[in-house]
Amino acid sequence: MRSIDIHAHISPEGYIRAVEAGEEWYGISGRSHEFHQAVPRTMWTPEQRLTDMDSLGVDVHVLSTNAVFYCYDRDANAVAAMDRECNDYVSQLTKDHPDRFAGLANLPMQDVGAAATELERAMTQLGMKGAMIDDSVNGKTYDEPEFYPLWEVAEQTGAVILVHQGMQTVVGDRSTRYHLPNTIGNLVERAITYSSFVFGGVMDKYPGLRVCLSHGGGYTCFGAGRMDRGWQVRSEARVNINKPPSTYLNRFWYDCLTHSEPALRMLIDSVGIDKVVFGTDWPFDMQIDWPVAWVLGLESLTQEEKEAILYKNLENLLGI
Amino acid sequence: MRSIDMHAHIAPLAASHLPEGQTWHGFTRREMNGRQFLVQGDKRQWLHPAYSLTADERIAYMDSVNVDVHVLTTWVGMYNYDLPGDVGAGIARECNDYVAELTRSHPDRFAGMATLPMQDVNAAVAELERSVNELGLKGAQIADHVNNKTLDHEDFIPFWSAAEQLGALIFFHQEGDDTIVKPRDTKGWAIDNSIGNLSDRVVTFGTLVFGGVLDRFPDLKVCLAHGGGFTCFGAGRLDRGWQVRSEARELGASIPSSYLNKVYYDCLTHSEAVLRYMIDSAGIDRIFLGSDYPYDMGIDEPTAWVNSLESLTQDEKDAILWKNLERVLGV
Repeated sequence: MRSIDIHAHISPEGYIRAVEAGEEWYGISGRSHEFHQAVPRTMWTPEQRLTDMDSLGVDVHVLSTNAVFYCYDRDANAVAAMDRECNDYVSQLTKDHPDRFAGLANLPMQDVGAAATELERAMTQLGMKGAMIDDSVNGKTYDEPEFYPLWEVAEQTGAVILVHQGMQTVVGDRSTRYHLPNTIGNLVERAITYSSFVFGGVMDKYPGLRVCLSHGGGYTCFGAGRMDRGWQVRSEARVNINKPPSTYLNRFWYDCLTHSEPALRMLIDSVGIDKVVFGTDWPFDMQIDWPVAWVLGLESLTQEEKEAILYKNLENLLGI
Repeated sequence: MRSIDMHAHIAPLAASHLPEGQTWHGFTRREMNGRQFLVQGDKRQWLHPAYSLTADERIAYMDSVNVDVHVLTTWVGMYNYDLPGDVGAGIARECNDYVAELTRSHPDRFAGMATLPMQDVNAAVAELERSVNELGLKGAQIADHVNNKTLDHEDFIPFWSAAEQLGALIFFHQEGDDTIVKPRDTKGWAIDNSIGNLSDRVVTFGTLVFGGVLDRFPDLKVCLAHGGGFTCFGAGRLDRGWQVRSEARELGASIPSSYLNKVYYDCLTHSEAVLRYMIDSAGIDRIFLGSDYPYDMGIDEPTAWVNSLESLTQDEKDAILWKNLERVLGV
């Protein structure tokens, strides 16, 4: 049986060389270098990655450049140049190992025109499958009309937009302790992003837009009942949509990174088995350690459901 | 069959009927866009029209939705943790005397929870002791943070110690729409409430667990409003964080999911699937009826809703509707 992992990160080779040399790379250094040195697998070669994938039983990594390379708060031209190098690197890997790697682009979201241009290049020239983006761009969420040109390109090219937080989440405003900005924050951010796309009218405006929410979509499916209630009783929730927010649950894709069998079961029951895909968060500590074995071991899933998650849904979504 | 509602708000009539031109603990009453507000400095607290109801009018409403008992919590506009401690203490005493009087005049229809001046922990402890020992209240309602300090902060250790000794139930409920999910401009689609309340509650669960509060005070009774928010659903990722990050274990907490059955929750989920998930995660003995009267985000017909749920057994419905609160609060 195949397995295709949509949530697998990589750092460009040029950056790894800069870390090893103690040099800046497009202005990145310091904490990012320390972060990479603290997680040795971020520094691994493609060959080391393939060996690890073999040991995990993972056939394909859909590679996304690490979120430390978003850099939306920095100069757009410099970041666009960095993103081109990221995307060229990932694209080359997919050409060198077409049966083991597919790729998602990194985009300079602080300049939507440049982001749309790079997404188009990634889709039409580099053979990539879409892009990974943060939950917000310098405080702006994706309901903002300024992002429409990007959704237009994504819809036209069939790009999959994987949403994944950057370095900070809203939980940090309340507590920075106990790893809560990650363990709770990632999941809050994803529910806010679902809301931005749905309540903001983006999913209606772009019916062909394909969005995948990482970390199982966070708290989205569990919070849908209360979002529906808000839509029923608060007029500001109905400005852009004329049906309850929960009716959009099956418009999105979600990875299976829940760390909980009942949470995954509820996700499947809420969004439909055709919308749940395999995602592991390689190479970080919050990943699923033995992801294929974990999915195969889940007693509340049928064999067909396991196959849908492990590869069939991503075969259909990405055409691989 | 009884029904006891843990999540039902009230405000003192002295506040909601405050005559024009008079002040109440520094607040004046003002009408804006057809709504009544208590105003002080740049604070504007919306007075829900239901807070003008008399006790008999409230009871008539309760009869109409088959609710026998409201466990009264003062409206969160009475928190005022940003005001000086003595002002907060004065507001709390008046709220608590008011609620206590209702519970004495209608002991079969009302039980009561205290409001506390959490910005002054010693005063909060004193008022909690007075509320439980002298007024017969069952505990207190507090916010998820006090001027951005979460309740695991060492300042609150005396508060938790007193709550445990008194057997007081501490009910966590955000202040208005002051949550970590901020609306931008005039948009926001009410997600500061719909997602925000639920997010704040899981942060509170996380800080109580990882911060060692539930270990240090094992007999503490805590209830998380709005079904505990995202707590039950998010437990798997909290567990993973605890496994791989030392900062999650630095105060000695056990694996977070092992605390799910050490706190209580109301049933305010607006989703049968979510309520079923909570029962299966935390245990049926941990869940109370809670409607959020009188707000629009509440359950319209709380007892009818619980009784209509096909995935719950009759025993489970009875536990939620009244048995659990009868046991925990002694009402």
